[in-house]
Amino acid sequence: MYSYIIRRLAFGALTVIGVSIIVFIVLRILPGDPLVAIFGPEGFTKLSEAERARYMADLGLSDPLFVQYLRWIGDIARGNFGRSFFRAESVGEMMLRRGPLTAEIAVLSVILSWLVGVPVAIVSALRPNSLGDNVSRFLSILFLAVPGFWLGMLIVLAALFLFGYRAPLTGPSLLSDPWGNLQVVIGPAVVLGLGQAAYIARMARSSLLEVIREDYVRTARAKGLSRRPVIAFHALPNALLPVVTLSGILLGFVLAGSIPVERAFGTPGLGYAMFTAVSERDIFVMQNLVFLYAVVFVLLNILVDLTIAWLDPRIRYR
Amino acid sequence: MTVTEPETAYPVDQPALAVEESRLRRVKEGARRFFRRSPLSAFWGCIAAAIIVMAVTAPVLAPYEPLKSDFRAMSKPPSERHYFGTDQIGRDVLSRVIYGSRASLTVALGAVLFGTTLGALWGLASGYFGGRFDIFSQRVIEFLQSFPDLILAMAIAMALGAGFGTVIIAIAITRIPFGGRVIRAVVLSLKELSYVEAARGLGASHLRIMLRHILPQCVAPYLILATTHLGVAIIIEAALGFLGVGIPPPTPTWGNMLADSLNAGLVPPWWLVLFPGLAITITVLAFNLLGDGIRDILDPRLRGAV
Repeated sequence: MYSYIIRRLAFGALTVIGVSIIVFIVLRILPGDPLVAIFGPEGFTKLSEAERARYMADLGLSDPLFVQYLRWIGDIARGNFGRSFFRAESVGEMMLRRGPLTAEIAVLSVILSWLVGVPVAIVSALRPNSLGDNVSRFLSILFLAVPGFWLGMLIVLAALFLFGYRAPLTGPSLLSDPWGNLQVVIGPAVVLGLGQAAYIARMARSSLLEVIREDYVRTARAKGLSRRPVIAFHALPNALLPVVTLSGILLGFVLAGSIPVERAFGTPGLGYAMFTAVSERDIFVMQNLVFLYAVVFVLLNILVDLTIAWLDPRIRYR
Repeated sequence: MTVTEPETAYPVDQPALAVEESRLRRVKEGARRFFRRSPLSAFWGCIAAAIIVMAVTAPVLAPYEPLKSDFRAMSKPPSERHYFGTDQIGRDVLSRVIYGSRASLTVALGAVLFGTTLGALWGLASGYFGGRFDIFSQRVIEFLQSFPDLILAMAIAMALGAGFGTVIIAIAITRIPFGGRVIRAVVLSLKELSYVEAARGLGASHLRIMLRHILPQCVAPYLILATTHLGVAIIIEAALGFLGVGIPPPTPTWGNMLADSLNAGLVPPWWLVLFPGLAITITVLAFNLLGDGIRDILDPRLRGAV
């Protein structure tokens, strides 16, 4: 087990390095001129050659690319995520302030997706091709096609029309004001949770259908156990292994999906900060946020692999 | 799907007309089988076709100019004159939704044609040659897959600046790893088969083996992958438009129409929100279900794999 963990972590470190290179290539090498982004096309043309060179030097953009890259990595290693062009707050402070809200949304949505997806899958798989199965399959296909941010906008509109209710626009922390916090978090969590529930229900259904046909399930039935304990204790734990993997992958996609969803709800989380950075073309903030998201994504994948290895000895001992 | 027969394998005495006719009959037969085996997919396939026709014939179908504002009819709810209402500067929402299908479909088709195809060819080469090239390719693909699709697409679209071409490139790049992975797996199992070995024994070049013997076997998984990716690409395009890094206004896209509705005041009028989103949902649903049907017919074993 330990050698497996170490191998997985070493591989993860390699991936993080690769990811940082890709982020740097995409955001530092591709764009035309960062000064255009800061000053706007008009402001840019008003600057003289000397001023342009001075600004570039101030921002550290006139050094060779690998020097810029190493400096960026060094800054991150020291916990310095840089500063926005437009705001006083440093990017690190912003991550700490806004991150918890998005993390909360993500965790809540995963819990919701299991609470909805797994029971639906069990009902579906126990009576394949029944009315309930067909309805739940149609709903899961439908929810794969519905864009989460649109569903979010509809929910905001419906709440406003029916109850005259609008979620507060500030994000109180879970500890100081749990009720206010819940009001902010619940909308995005439900939207993202339903989106994942669709995938989970599909996967759990097909996996359960496969497991039910296994010999050990038939043995358990043959030795006289009734249907319910066989499903609950023999079939389900094995059927849910691939669902754990899927859920971990989905969690990463929820982090990305929360960007437009937080925009739709006006939730003051990290996703909304990403939206702001994109619309302001704030390259440095964007660079660090994209890197942060990718690193979290890689870590989640490692976590999922380790969880699966812990749950399934066949993988651990290979 | 038509399969190109090698010219010399058939006796050539039958008249060309008969060949033509039998091919037509085969297509008809295939369509009939598709309808019989999965009527639901066939139905949604027709809807997908209708949406494509709508995009092509948009200037004929749209009752108004999508960009023309009518200042006497601003923010009007749906009515006899404007079935889907008008937006805050008096543009007809129905016409904009119809024109929006052009942007969505062009971007989705372009992204799949570039991205999925490039990924598939890459997967073909790396699976076939193996060795160091394969290991290197696997690493690059893994790095690319370490980003959630939307975030990578956002970063690329932002770096390149908004526009039709950049959105296509941004989404295409997120499609490459998937094409690469799936096709590589298919090629790995194919290249061990004896007919490939036989071709190699006969002295066929690598290029010939790849193109004539392995590529045709990759068509089915590729088609399945491509139809699924169409739906994904449409959703990413809409999200990019919604976040303001997609195709810039005034060109109507479903995503930037939704983003626009948030600027229409504190409370967006419901018809500005409902119709573009409905268009996205129906289109994605149609392509997904069509993809499911194609997969069931071409290769039931791939269920869940793609």
